[in-house]
Order: sequence, then C-alpha cells, then structure tokens
Amino acid sequence: MRAGALTGIKLGLVSCESCGLLSRPVKVDEPGHCPRCGEELELRRHNPIQRTWALIVAALICYIPANVLPVMVSTTLASEEEDTIFSGVVLLYETGSWPLALIVLIASVMIPLTKIGALAYLLITVQRRSIRGQGDRLRLYRLVKLVGRWSMLDVFVITFTVALIQFQPLMSVEPGYGVLFFAAVVVLTMIAAETFDPRLIWDSISE
Amino acid sequence: MTEHTDINSVPEATAVPKKRMTFSVAWIIPVVAALVAIGIAVQQILAKGPTITIVFKEAQGIEAGKTFVKYKDVRIGQVTKVQLSKDFTRAELTASIDKSAAGLMVEDTKFWIEHPRVGPSGISGLGTLLSGNYIGVEAGKSTKAQREFIGLEKPPVISIDEPGQRFTLEADNLGSVGIGSPLYYRRLNVGQVIGYDLAENGRSITIKVFVKAPYDKHVTADTRFWQASGIDMSLGANGLSVRTQSVLSVLIGGIAFETFVSSGDAKPAAEEAIFTLYNDRAEAAAQREVEVTPYVLRFKESVRGLSVGAPVTYLGLQVGEVTAVGLEGDPKTGDIHPRVDIVISLGKFLGHMRQAVSVKELAMNEKLRHSILQRMVDRGLRAQLRSGSIVTGQLYVACDMHKHVPKVKIDWTKSPAELPVVPSGLQDLQDKINGILVKIEKIPIDAIGEDLKKLVARLDGLLKRTDEEVLPEAKKTLEELKGVLKSVDTTVVGKDAPVQQEVREALQEINRAAQAIRGLTEYLEQHPEAIIRGKTQEKQ
Repeated sequence: MRAGALTGIKLGLVSCESCGLLSRPVKVDEPGHCPRCGEELELRRHNPIQRTWALIVAALICYIPANVLPVMVSTTLASEEEDTIFSGVVLLYETGSWPLALIVLIASVMIPLTKIGALAYLLITVQRRSIRGQGDRLRLYRLVKLVGRWSMLDVFVITFTVALIQFQPLMSVEPGYGVLFFAAVVVLTMIAAETFDPRLIWDSISE
Repeated sequence: MTEHTDINSVPEATAVPKKRMTFSVAWIIPVVAALVAIGIAVQQILAKGPTITIVFKEAQGIEAGKTFVKYKDVRIGQVTKVQLSKDFTRAELTASIDKSAAGLMVEDTKFWIEHPRVGPSGISGLGTLLSGNYIGVEAGKSTKAQREFIGLEKPPVISIDEPGQRFTLEADNLGSVGIGSPLYYRRLNVGQVIGYDLAENGRSITIKVFVKAPYDKHVTADTRFWQASGIDMSLGANGLSVRTQSVLSVLIGGIAFETFVSSGDAKPAAEEAIFTLYNDRAEAAAQREVEVTPYVLRFKESVRGLSVGAPVTYLGLQVGEVTAVGLEGDPKTGDIHPRVDIVISLGKFLGHMRQAVSVKELAMNEKLRHSILQRMVDRGLRAQLRSGSIVTGQLYVACDMHKHVPKVKIDWTKSPAELPVVPSGLQDLQDKINGILVKIEKIPIDAIGEDLKKLVARLDGLLKRTDEEVLPEAKKTLEELKGVLKSVDTTVVGKDAPVQQEVREALQEINRAAQAIRGLTEYLEQHPEAIIRGKTQEKQ
C-alpha cells in the first residue's frame, strides 16, 4: 500500500461492483452502466461522504431520545418503574453486579457513541485528504464494522424480558420508546459503516 | 488477438446522461429521525399533566417513583419526589398527574395516604398491604385549578359525589361521637358523622353529619337530632329506663334523629342546615312543645328528690315537666324557700282530651286560658309534691283538686304566673302527727299524777272508815236478811208451800180453757156461719 499505487481510476478503468467486469467509464464524472449486467458503475460510491454523514447525524439524533426515554417500563402491583439505559447501568452497579454494569455501559452507551465518533473521524480525515495513518484508520473502520452488531445486545435483552415477564397483573414489562431509538442508532451506525467507502482512505495517497 | 486485448479493446461504457445530484438523498434519514424524535418529545410534553405538591405530616410508606396517585382506584399519577419541607416539619411530595386527570386538581381536592386502617367502623385499605400505600384523591367541586395541596390525615368519610346531604349540628359537648359514628333514623343507619370542630368562640361543638340519599329527605326543619351514644340510662320518677340504638352505637356512639311533630310544611331541610344536637331523646322530644306555658311553684317544704325533667301531672296524666329547681327568698324577711319552675304543655294537656277542642283557639286565646285555670284553682286545683317511687325517692309535681283550701287569685301580671300549692301528703301527715304530739306535750302529766296521789290517799281514808263503821252494821243487816229469806223459802218457794199448790191449780185451769178455745176456733174455721146461726146439731 505504498503511495502512488496504480489504481483503476488512474488507468481509466472501473470494475463493476455487481459482476466484477472491468470496463472503461464513459466519463470520470459519469461512469455509466456495466455493459454486462447493467449495474450503474461507480468509480467511488456515489456521494459517499454525504451519505455517511447523513446516517451518522441521524444516528446522533436518535442517540439522544434513546438515552433520555425509557427503554423498559416494568409495572408491578405497587409501582410502575421506567428505566432508561443509563438508569439500568446505575441500578446494576448499585446492586453490586458491576461487571454486568460495565458490559451494558460499554455495549449500550459507549460503543454506539464510539462508532459515531469513529465514523465521523474517518469522514473528516477523508474530507481533509489526510495522508497519515491510513492503516490505522482502516483497522478502526474494520473494528467499527465488527463491533456494530454487538450493540444490539440491549435490544435483545429487552425483547426477551418483555416476552418473558408478563405476569399480569402482578408484574409486567413493556418496551419504552427509547428502545426503538436505540435500535435505530445501532442500525443507522451499521449502515453508516457499510456506506463508508474505505477506498476513500487511500485516494489522497493516490493523487 | 492477444495484442488486441489491450486497454483500447476494453469496451467503452454506454453513456447515460444523468442529472448530477449535489445533495445526497441520504440526508432524508436524519431529517426523518429528527422529526420522529421531536414528535415524540412534543407528544411527551403534551401528554405530561400537571405536577403537584402535597404536604403531609409524614410520608408514610411513600416512595418516589413507586407510589401512585389514585382516584377511584384508577391511577392518575405518580409520586416523583419525596422530600422534607424547608423547616423540616413536614413531608413534601411532588407528583406528576396524568394530563387526563389534570381537571381534578382543583382548590378543594383532597389527598390522603391510603394505608391499612383499623377504625371503629371496620378495617379499610387492606388492599394496600399487597400493593403498598398510595395517595388517595377525592375530587373537589371547585373549578379553580390548584397545584399545591395540604394532605389529610385520614381519608374523608364520605365521598363528595355520594348522593345525600350534609348538615351541621350544634352541641354542648361532643359526647362519645367521633368521625364515622353512625347516624340513625328509626334505628336505621342512614349516615355518618363526617367531622367535628370546636366553635369559634369555644362554647359549643359543631358536628358535621352526612345523611345518605334517599333518607336525607326525612330531615326537615322540625327534625330533632340527639346523641344516641352508648347506653342512655336514667333513673327518674318513671323508674329505670334504658335506651340504646345499636350495639355499634353503644361502642362508638352515634346520633339519631326523628321528626316528632311536623308543622305541616315538611319540606326537606336545606343543604348545610344547622340543627341543635340534644343530649338525649327525651330532651329532643320535649323541645318540640311549642305551646308551653311556664309557671312557678313556691313550696314551703323540702324538694329533695325533685329533679329537672320530672313530670307534672294533672289528675295523674302528664301535662308538663319541671324545668328548674332552685331557691328563692326575700332578703328582708329572710324567708328562703324552694322555687320550682314548671312548664305546662297545652298540647299534652289537650292530647289527653277525648273531645275536640281547638288547640289553636285555646293556645291563641290567653284570656280564655287564664279564666279556665282560675276557675280550676277556685275549685281547688293545687300543685303538690308527690313521691313517684318509694325506691328512688324521686318526686313529681301533681296538680289535683283539693277540698277545703283557701281561695287564691292567680296574679297574671307576673310572668311566669304562680300556681298555688298545698303541702305534700307526707308533709300533711307529718304536720298532723306533729300537732298531736304538741297536744300530748301540753297534757300536764305531772299535775295529774299529783292529783291521783291525793285521790288515792283520800280513798284510803274512806276505805278505813268503811271498814271500821260500815262493815259491822252491814254484818247485822245481812243476818237479818238471812232470816227473811228463810221464811220466804218455806212459805213461797217450798214444794208443799200453799202458794205453790194454788199456782199449780190455776195453771191446770188455764190449760183447760185453752183447749176449749182451740176446739171453738177449729169449728169456726169449718163453719163460719155458726157465729150467726149458732152451732147446728151434728147429723148422724
């Protein structure tokens, strides 16, 4: 991965992302469609940075209600308790199970935020055409993609709890709005990670 | 052919003109996310009802985020914060109320902490043993919204929307009445005491009672309320009387009401009407006598055993009662004697009448009333103290006709007028015995004794003289008398004495004559004509 490596763009070639056919784009701006499968050709993903940004912003917006709104409403005879993600962490910590609290804190609070932060960092560096630490950035990107699915842990837990604890009228658990937003955060960050074109990291070097 | 497979031999892509988008469609996603988030936020804010604060003496079993606010057992809110008031004397609860119940939070809405209670009228709030304490709400009637409330110590006894009426009773003392004490109408539990308080001036007690519908319509302006608390035992001239309402009222007290006499316009009493609470049924019943005339009696004897409320009878029928017993005196003469105030109820008096007398006419016409009474007094009507019961010694006032009493003119100018009295029978007897004793005392027993002594001495002298002078003379005379008797015996009484002989013959002669007369009368009965014609010869 040295600087000045040969790229398809330099050669005036583009490969179809669908069937892999190598073709010459009509224009660099508008590469056209694949002659074999008709897929739209892209030298780089179309408007990649904007799209990723949009998703990250959406995830960030959703992150606020996900943490503010209750994710779980547990109703007993005596009371009705609304738990947000963070109050759950606090509760776990207070009841002594700090390892669990740590897991929830990392999986549900820190990871989504880290993902958003990491993707934003990647996008900014790409936009600024940074030529340093491409390898590290790529590893960061891979980590983001890998870790993304684990954030759904909380959603799973809540789904299970809601399904299992239904002893009306003694006790019942219902999902709150927060969990929807939380799921949205996870999904949006995963999509954002997918839409990010890691090839962009290297483009600044090729130029 | 391999040479041809260079860059140039790669087929050229087909050009499709396309409008270049400078703005990515992906931006719709955050916009949508933002809209949804804002939408939910707005919804949450809109759905959020009022936040109220309630001050309680103590937050018994209240936990922030766990305790509900319930109205009619429906959750309308939740306690969000429990803290001490600034001066640390009370507990301040903050509760968020559902928007749907925001209309309940008005000025006179009441809050209390519902927890298990064991009270005189039963156990309540058992459900809270399982569910935990909650804050009960009683809706107010006001329309003015309020957010700060003072919590009640106890739940209100009667819900505001329960049909019925509230009345206020004024009493001298609370008696054994408490909140929740039952209210009886003809021994039917028709309501409850919902509160009591000392009057502003501290001289009486105001008791709030609630009468359930439809019984509230039986409360009219003429209705009397009395304490039906516990056991009402009285020992009066009428003997021992025990009166109770129910076992419950014996234990926790109660109030009873009844309309003894209705004045005709028996409209149900107005809401919050004020009544007097009497101490007992008799007192309540007695108060109905509107047409009562007070009189005063001035006795010259002890009124021990005469109590207020003792009956006043006319020829044995009760026509009134004693209202006061006291003393009265003239400081100049120093003569202090009992004064007994009585009331005569015209209604009772006429109630005993078996003929139609217009009550109104007699009640209205004072002059007529006065003249009737004066005539009765002229004929000997007198008040007298009598013992109603030998056991208790209770007295009552009896108005009866007495013979040989001096004429009295009633002074109607005085109010109350004085009725003439005569001493009681017992007093009369006592007086008579006293009189006799006085007379006995007056007998000069000592002088009589002296005289008797003299008499005996003289008798002694007389007897001595008789012994000495009279007896020898008498002996002589007796001996002479003996001789006379002996001669009589031989001439008159002896068997063969001539007098005897002659008498016997004479008797035989009379006997024969009697037989002849009998034969004649028998003949005359059979033959009356013989008187004229003479005796006919008997036929053969």
